[in-house]
Amino acid sequence: MTATSTPTDRYVAATLRSLPGRQRQDIEAELRALIADAIDDRREAGADSDSAEREVLTELGAPARLAASYSDRFLHLIGPEFYLDYLRVLTVLLSTLVPLWFVIVALVTFADGSPAEVAFGGALYSALETAMSIAFFTTLVFAIIERVSAVRTKRTTTWDPSSLPEVRDKRGFFTELIGGVVFLAVIVIALVLTQTLGAVEGPEGAEVGPVASAVWESGVLYIALFFAIASISSHVLAHYTGWSTANAIANTVFVALFAVPAIWLAASGRLLSDDYFRAVGWPEGTNVVAVVVIVVVILLTTSDAVGGWVRASKKRRTR
Amino acid sequence: MLNEEALATHRQELRRGTIVLACLLLLGRPNYGYALLDTLEKSGFEVDANTLYPLLRRLEKQGLLTSEWNTDDSRPRKFYVTSEEGATLADTLKRDWHALDTAFLSLKDES
Repeated sequence: MTATSTPTDRYVAATLRSLPGRQRQDIEAELRALIADAIDDRREAGADSDSAEREVLTELGAPARLAASYSDRFLHLIGPEFYLDYLRVLTVLLSTLVPLWFVIVALVTFADGSPAEVAFGGALYSALETAMSIAFFTTLVFAIIERVSAVRTKRTTTWDPSSLPEVRDKRGFFTELIGGVVFLAVIVIALVLTQTLGAVEGPEGAEVGPVASAVWESGVLYIALFFAIASISSHVLAHYTGWSTANAIANTVFVALFAVPAIWLAASGRLLSDDYFRAVGWPEGTNVVAVVVIVVVILLTTSDAVGGWVRASKKRRTR
Repeated sequence: MLNEEALATHRQELRRGTIVLACLLLLGRPNYGYALLDTLEKSGFEVDANTLYPLLRRLEKQGLLTSEWNTDDSRPRKFYVTSEEGATLADTLKRDWHALDTAFLSLKDES
């Protein structure tokens, strides 16, 4: 400790650190005067200045708390309004995705020729990693919801019962969420399994799966998976903050960003491996599957985009 | 038997609004934070410094108090005084307080 910074200096600095700039100067001046007054008072009562200062600062309490009280800021990441939903979403995601991911990774590495214990260890590690990312992103999404809705409730002046969501809405939402997650997991598992375990010997003796190896190795599918997970997150976000036109537009753009390249890949014949379908004795399979993929992508994405608009317009009507 | 923490919470909840009223009444005459804290304590209102100081700013922000820096003394201090709006609120709150008091008394008669 040096003579340049007294405990009061440090206390005031620590309090001001997290306050908005425009309030700082005034609060600093006032706080210093208040502390000095309190110290003087104690000294007149007979205390020595060091212990008087310490007592006064102790009474004022943790600077962060005082600062929060000055700025009306909340000291939590996810508040009571969303905490239970947060737990629920987190439980759903962790309890479905992590075991599934564990099984996939274990099967794939085992099928790839690794010994069982290596496959098991690798899968365990990968599952833990997945659990961490799920926990992180779920928390992030809910922390954003908390902040966005804090802004929203401050703006909302009137509330009436007609703005209440349908009771079934919530259960429906969780069913949809679980359904979406399971659907995604099943597709990923099916894809990974057919590509690795279901691979057959191609013309050059190399193993080929149904997805063209260029696509498989390029990481495009990871981007698709990222899109799917991000889309689920944005649905959760929109569910809690209320579907607005902005959500619907964002959702449509999002869906288009996924659908257009996906359809292009399938339609231009780059998605599937001709060698694979020839090897399994179904040469026209490439075209048939490509058409099926295109139709499914169009159906899913269109219904998702339209669903967003329907929800947004419903929201407007009930207001 | 109620534990100490729960007891403290309940008492704090009950006191919370009364501090606002006490401030509005006391600040009919301009005063600064520390002196106000002292007066409140001496008049029997229990309040912590770290509750009172931010509260004064919130009330000022709401237009119930106005403030002015007083540099007459050796130490410049921020003086608060109840605004017209604040005085109106104080009247309302005081009426509510009396109404509550009457209500409590009538509860006592019935029991």
